[in-house]
Amino acid sequence: MLTLLRRYGTLVGFAAILIFFWVSLPDTFMTARNWLNISQQMSMLIVVASGMTIVMVMGDFDLSVGSMASLAGIVAAILFTFDYPIWAAVSVALLVGLAGGAVNGLLISFVGILPFVATLATLTMLSGVAFVVSGGKTISGRAIPESFGNFAREGIALGDWGGVAVSLPNLTIVAIVVVALVWVLLEQTTFGRRLYAIGGNIEAAHLSGVAVRRLKLIAFSLTGGTAALAGIMYASRVASSNPTQGSGLMLNAIAAVFLGSTLSEHGEPRLLYTIVGVLVLGVLDNGLTQLSVDSYVRQILVGGIILLAVSTSSYARRLN
Amino acid sequence: MTRHARAIRALLAGTALLATGFSATAAVAQSKIAVITPYLSQPGTQFYVEAFEAAAEGKDWDVNVIDTAGDVAAVISRIEDMVTQNVDAIVINVDPTQVTAGLQSAKDAGIPVIGMDAGADPLLVTNITSNGYAMAAETATYVADRIDGAGNVVMFVFEAFPPVQVRGVVADAVFGNFPDITILDHVTPDVSDGGIADSRAKMEAILAANPEPGSVKAVWAAWDQPALGALQAIEAAGRGGEGIVITGIDANPQAREAIAAGGNFEASVAQDFKGIGATAADVVARVLAAEEIKQGSIYVPTQLITASNAAE
Repeated sequence: MLTLLRRYGTLVGFAAILIFFWVSLPDTFMTARNWLNISQQMSMLIVVASGMTIVMVMGDFDLSVGSMASLAGIVAAILFTFDYPIWAAVSVALLVGLAGGAVNGLLISFVGILPFVATLATLTMLSGVAFVVSGGKTISGRAIPESFGNFAREGIALGDWGGVAVSLPNLTIVAIVVVALVWVLLEQTTFGRRLYAIGGNIEAAHLSGVAVRRLKLIAFSLTGGTAALAGIMYASRVASSNPTQGSGLMLNAIAAVFLGSTLSEHGEPRLLYTIVGVLVLGVLDNGLTQLSVDSYVRQILVGGIILLAVSTSSYARRLN
Repeated sequence: MTRHARAIRALLAGTALLATGFSATAAVAQSKIAVITPYLSQPGTQFYVEAFEAAAEGKDWDVNVIDTAGDVAAVISRIEDMVTQNVDAIVINVDPTQVTAGLQSAKDAGIPVIGMDAGADPLLVTNITSNGYAMAAETATYVADRIDGAGNVVMFVFEAFPPVQVRGVVADAVFGNFPDITILDHVTPDVSDGGIADSRAKMEAILAANPEPGSVKAVWAAWDQPALGALQAIEAAGRGGEGIVITGIDANPQAREAIAAGGNFEASVAQDFKGIGATAADVVARVLAAEEIKQGSIYVPTQLITASNAAE
């Protein structure tokens, strides 16, 4: 019973939230349209949180993902102003993400700086670079190719649901693909199992021949890459780019991973649980907005729920 | 078992926590209006929103103000949520080209979106804002009048930012209508440090190149920072007594202080933020009454600020 509660307390809480919104908003909440909206609204956070899960599996953090997302958006937008084709601009922005992540990995695994300190420093630096490259300005309007902005507005038509045309948004599809790839990587490959080994006991992993440094380097590069992808998705959604626009993603991604980890057996991050964490945050934002709850009260509630979930989980574990 | 019960109770507390947020939402109102902005913490936006809420008070409206704390993508998300909720009207204070995805979903659902100093956009019913053309004409005619339509004028302009660019065009047109006014220079200051310091440096160079008293009659600046920089240059050069007339636009607190002091900086123009908020509420009421709004922009009058009213 206690084990069940510890493992599924968050899930029960999530179900309670869903039922609450369903009852309070009978006509609008549990509709295909609304859920597709939520999936689209959360797609960027899903991508960042997936990448964050990769490093958090090893017990590390990456605080620089928000700045990286902003920078990637700026890089793509700047290249658009020089008339680069979309695929080229997006590829360069993704490479910037991988490279930035690799720098994090180098600092942490080869120089030996704590992830918190190293990525805090790169957070500041990447943010500074985004400001320098953009001149502090928002790049928008005609500089952004129309088809780039349209990407985030379009999707695959799913037909009519109750008289309303519904489509699966492109951003949601991107998020699903990323989740699938990261899931295979973490759960189905030796690489993933080794990351979990590092997270379990880094010394033991090292002694049993796991190439800790190299794995960390790769893991942080991937996190940087996903952050850049999320930044590009954000830029497409707002059809513009601004040197600070990704900054909100970092804390929410960490919160989602923590929320999700309350669902796993030993409190370790698992990708699918991270997605549950993202959904909790997304559903709260969506449902509370529809209920006209003050946006500041919403922030307090979200923080409270994270505290509640994590403390319930650790309390139950202690009793065990 | 009691331990289990305690843990369950902790969980239930979460739901209770949620419920506390909703006490105020029970009231049934006829029209639901959502005001969505990422910039609520900025003074101008606060004035609009407060004035909007004040104007809404007498009406039978349920106004929901949503601040996304700087997150523009979240504005799109919240517009989508409001469309799902089928509100009667949405008011935004954000660049409409950045939230096209949300505006499109509102349009598809037939929900009117009104811009509150947002920028004109075909997806908006209309945008309520200050008239940049009129503001520039106000200070340019003030300058022309004060120098009796004759003499050398220095202009501080900024072509890269459209709202400021139009001000320069209008001032050029006004000065061009006076045959005896000569534009000495169109200066574009470097604004990376705020604009005051570089404007001062540029003005010092112009004063050095025109040492004769009366060789510079006025400085027209497209916004307040260059006007303040020019004022510093004129005072530092000891030429404050020549009667060089300086004007700015925006009437920021520093400019008001300088104007109130009664020196060379004589005039600026203040936007009526409260008027923009109140007019937005008025337009929403008209839209709800099924009136067709024809103008893409609705302008709220601005006010010329001189020594006589700068301290207000």
